[in-house]
Amino acid sequence: MIRGMYAILLLDMKRAWLDRARLAAGLAQPLLYLFVLGAGLGASSQLGAGDYRRYIFPGVVALSLLFSATFAAIVIVFDRQIGFFKAILIAPVPRAAIAFGKIGAGALQAFIQGVIVLPFAPLAGIHFGLLATLELLGAMLLAATTFSALGVAVAARFNSTTVFPVVSNAVLLPMFFLSGALYPLSKAPHWMQMACHLDPVAYAVDLMRGALLGRFFFDPRLSVTALVVMIALLGWAAVRVFNRGEDDSSLGAARFNWRR
Amino acid sequence: MPSAVPSTNDASVPAVEVQGLVKKYGQVEALRGIDLSIRQGERFAFLGPNGAGKTTLFSILATLRAPSSGSARVLGHDVILERDAVRRKMGVVFQEPAIEQRLSGRDNLLLMGLLFGLPSSLARQRATELLESLGLADAGDRPANQLSGGQRRKLELARSLVTDPRILFLDEATLGLDVDARRGFWTQVRTLAASGRTVFFTTHYMEEAEVADRIALIDAGHIVAVDTPRALKARLGGGVIRLETEDVPGAWVWLAGQGFEPEGTDTEIMILHPDPAAVLPEILRQLPMRVLRAEVHEPSLEDVFLKLTGRGLAGEVPGPAQDGPARNPGGPRR
Repeated sequence: MIRGMYAILLLDMKRAWLDRARLAAGLAQPLLYLFVLGAGLGASSQLGAGDYRRYIFPGVVALSLLFSATFAAIVIVFDRQIGFFKAILIAPVPRAAIAFGKIGAGALQAFIQGVIVLPFAPLAGIHFGLLATLELLGAMLLAATTFSALGVAVAARFNSTTVFPVVSNAVLLPMFFLSGALYPLSKAPHWMQMACHLDPVAYAVDLMRGALLGRFFFDPRLSVTALVVMIALLGWAAVRVFNRGEDDSSLGAARFNWRR
Repeated sequence: MPSAVPSTNDASVPAVEVQGLVKKYGQVEALRGIDLSIRQGERFAFLGPNGAGKTTLFSILATLRAPSSGSARVLGHDVILERDAVRRKMGVVFQEPAIEQRLSGRDNLLLMGLLFGLPSSLARQRATELLESLGLADAGDRPANQLSGGQRRKLELARSLVTDPRILFLDEATLGLDVDARRGFWTQVRTLAASGRTVFFTTHYMEEAEVADRIALIDAGHIVAVDTPRALKARLGGGVIRLETEDVPGAWVWLAGQGFEPEGTDTEIMILHPDPAAVLPEILRQLPMRVLRAEVHEPSLEDVFLKLTGRGLAGEVPGPAQDGPARNPGGPRR
């Protein structure tokens, strides 16, 4: 199980290394939110531009984690489309090793992408000490793993690289807007405060914001528990799909259960 | 991991044993009751047109799909209940590329070795051995997408061999390769078979099927015949006359009137005869319609398939690979 996970992780990290140019390009989106959207929206908010930028910084890190983790999962779709994934499916390893190897690889890539946003914190007016850094990194790791699990669970169900990005965007943006990344949930309408309880991004943003600014919307213990439960559920969903092997993907095959 | 059942190392256990295998995709029945037994060490070919069910059977044996009913065992292990045991003993080459094209061959083999449970020092050693034995020692450190088609296919073969499998499954493994590259690939496979491995392969190239010890002909989800290539061809007896004429139905009627038993497709007539060379001149002289093309040859697997199913192997030009000027493969069919 461990060796299988390690092999999958190593494979994906080697391939990600070939695409390392993505790291630089991946910085564009968070910086755009932080300095353009942040300046524009902040100027007209009650907080003022400086405070607003500080406020959204953890949300922007979460954005970076969310998009890079789900983007990493696209290799699964690509591998299924060209047939490479079959070579992985015929390996004598538990399907959980495949799922969690993929989740780990996506989380690691996202984590790295998120970490390179952190040096911009002072520019956003945030200064933090060692303890806060450790808390933040821990929260980021947990968040990256959750988002990667989400990406893998969704990607496992698609075998077209043209459909998956459309679907994932349709899922990601609502999750991001519901998360309180760009505005305080405490002032949001009642229905949003209810809905955000189902949103992993909300817990992740809140944990990171708590680490940096000391203000929490959820109880941090609730956030950690919620994220861990979501990782487990999403991982399990991916395992279920991988268990069906090829019966799930080609020929428009109907869902087939491994009976007996 | 549970240890293998002792009896499965016994040479008398069939390499593949399939009983009453049915696979449905919704309403479509891809396999309609397949029974098959393959001995260890056999080279076994599965020959049939596209869509006959070859790849479906292949996927079930390779533990990638589950049958709708019936059972399949590989080296004594059930392909569903003991999937991992089957996986540890098989090597698979797919139609599609299953190596990461941007990584080197060596990296690919190393990663597959790890994935199949080898410790990393052993995986490294195995990768080097395989690259050397398949003649890829120089090419192995370049990214796979810089290799020729033939080298890439050999790399696929190498990938299937990292765990030293006792049975190899090859699914249309040489599709798209030129003749030389195909020959090189099969030379390697023959070497592997000579060391006692079972080789199960699907193909629609007849000359590839000829190297098999036994061939199963499959059509529309059924096995129509299983035998050695020689025995299959002997079923036809004598030789084969193939005729292309104007007015095929008219020629058909005329030939039947002369006491022949014409068979074949809408565009081509096939006649089995104990001594075809002796009767062909007379047919050509007397046939009341223009003959576009006539040919006499030993029965081929194509002929056997035509005789048993009433149609050709799709995607394959019947007879020797020469395109006569009168041929019109894209023309309308009745």
